[in-house]
Amino acid sequence: MRTTLVAVACLAAAPFLAACTENTDSNAGGAADTGNPRALSVESTDDGCQVSAAEAPAGTLTFDVTNTGSQVTEFYLLGEDGLRIVSEVENIGPSLNREMTVNAPAGKYFTACKPGMKGEGIRADFTVTAAQDGSEAPTADDQQLVDQATTNYAAYVKDQADQLLAKTQQFVDLYEQGEDDQARTLYPDARTHWERIETVAESFGDLDPKTDLREADLEPGQEWTGWHRIEKDLWPEKARDYTPLTPAERATYGDDLLANITTLHDRVQGLTYTVDQIANGSRGLLEEVATGKVTGEEEFWSGTDLWDFQANVDGARVGYEGVKPIVEQKDPELATELDSRFADLQQLLDAQKSGDGFKNYSQLTPEEIKALSDAVNALSEPLSRLTAAVLS
Amino acid sequence: MFANYLIGLREGLEAALVVSILVAYLVKSDRRHLLPRIWAGVALAVAVSLGFGAALTWGPRGLTFEAQEAIGGGLSIVAVAFVTWMIFWMARAARSMSGTLRGQIDAAAEGSRWSLVVVAVLAVGREGLETALFLWAATKAGTRESVGTITPTWEPLLGAALGIATAVALGYLIYRGAISINLTKFFTWTGAFLILVAAGVLAYGIHDLQEARFLPGLNDLAFDVSDTIDINSWYGALLKGVFNFSPATTKLEAAAWLLYAVPVMVLFLLGVRRRQTRPATSSTKTAGTSVPSHS
Repeated sequence: MRTTLVAVACLAAAPFLAACTENTDSNAGGAADTGNPRALSVESTDDGCQVSAAEAPAGTLTFDVTNTGSQVTEFYLLGEDGLRIVSEVENIGPSLNREMTVNAPAGKYFTACKPGMKGEGIRADFTVTAAQDGSEAPTADDQQLVDQATTNYAAYVKDQADQLLAKTQQFVDLYEQGEDDQARTLYPDARTHWERIETVAESFGDLDPKTDLREADLEPGQEWTGWHRIEKDLWPEKARDYTPLTPAERATYGDDLLANITTLHDRVQGLTYTVDQIANGSRGLLEEVATGKVTGEEEFWSGTDLWDFQANVDGARVGYEGVKPIVEQKDPELATELDSRFADLQQLLDAQKSGDGFKNYSQLTPEEIKALSDAVNALSEPLSRLTAAVLS
Repeated sequence: MFANYLIGLREGLEAALVVSILVAYLVKSDRRHLLPRIWAGVALAVAVSLGFGAALTWGPRGLTFEAQEAIGGGLSIVAVAFVTWMIFWMARAARSMSGTLRGQIDAAAEGSRWSLVVVAVLAVGREGLETALFLWAATKAGTRESVGTITPTWEPLLGAALGIATAVALGYLIYRGAISINLTKFFTWTGAFLILVAAGVLAYGIHDLQEARFLPGLNDLAFDVSDTIDINSWYGALLKGVFNFSPATTKLEAAAWLLYAVPVMVLFLLGVRRRQTRPATSSTKTAGTSVPSHS
């Protein structure tokens, strides 16, 4: 009879199976006697709430709630704020026991019995610790990690935009005053802050071409402005028959760049991000390295490509590290791989350091470029899986 | 025992009310041949609930809290839609019950036969899963081995069964009362009463969805009278069982209740007045007893 019932019910439950959660074996008299740390027992009396343990490892937890009082009771697992209901069982009459199964990620919680089903309930702290065995990694996505990642990333972008604006201001002043040597020193430094948030900057389709267009990418009739126009004027050695810009022209291009960077700075203030945008941005920055920097095309005149290279990698790493707590929960192997690939690439970059900055790109040997390119590719592959892992 | 009795009463009452009014209407309007559909719907809901509950109690998988609340809350809102439909369907059918249009009305009733089954299924099935889980837990209490202070006892199951039996008995009394009053009164009273029941079901459904965090504002209370009205008292159980009254009501619940009950009640009463201006009612049954149904 029971078998038939269960069979019928399973059929009826089929549409909901995705929403089902594992029941632990509960045919035994009580779940708590099995020694399983994820099986807890709760005794709810009229004025007490005895939970068999105050902590459990993350995963599928089972609370076997027995009402030994005289009133109807309820049992809750509440979030850290004491308000969010993680799970509940209601209507546990006197002498009855009911099980509550919940998939709980690591964190702080409250347990609460509500004899008489009213009021705050009899509460106690409850802690879910990270699973040691790794076999039952929690699947519930932890909103806190997500919130933290997006908040931190927004703060990072704003901070970089602040520094970008300040250094661009200095750079433009020096350039317009004809202090070319100092301007040349500051150029890759100021651009570092641009390159670190390049995917965000590029998302403004009107600003990016005015700011970061290279001469080689100019379309017929398009006016060339921005960083690279000034770059060519500061490093004209490679140019044939180059006519230096007049002070008036310098002022025009300098003021234009500063105005565009100011607009960018203002626009990022109100931006918010989602975790997949952060993960995609991280991958996007590495693609910038692969298509522009490792080829030495970006800074054709100045040869400061390695500064940009490093800045793109910085930005990609910050993005990844922001979502890393989520990746560690969902795909710990990917996190480990990304950590080691980032470290490998950084080691190669460190080898090209010179003083506070980097060697000129023209000083790199073909073998060194090949090694950098390989390291970038080795990082790109796992990084392309980042978004999927974060969203899984 | 008494506490378990009240749970049984509370969970069973609302379904018993809706079903008894539906049955009373079909009997009064001489459509007894449609009754098997109602009973089929009730039987289906009971079977599915019990089977589902058994699977969740003893089977290898349980339902997540969110899924449970989403099913309960979602079903509640669908049930409201169908009960509302039923109220106006009964009223519309009553208006032209003078005899000339009889054949057409019966045709309409035939066409709506599946709707009647659905109403019966929803009225019973909405609380069915929760009640089934409760009943199976009570059954477990009778069959388990003793562990520590817990000894096996059939008392909870007996209490719950008596509570459900009481709910059915109350439903029958309402049916008897409803059957003996004239048709105009029947529609006015049962219709208005069902609107209040449906408003309560809607608020309850909203509460379920708030608990599962599909809707916000779970802790934003409009009022809290849980110290005055104990849900575990007999009158608390009746209030909850009939009107789904919750002593601690959230603002969203209260808003949903008002936004449903007020306009629907106005529409309904306007319809009643329009009907009463015509001498259309053919039912000559006189009111033998007064109507207890709005208690």
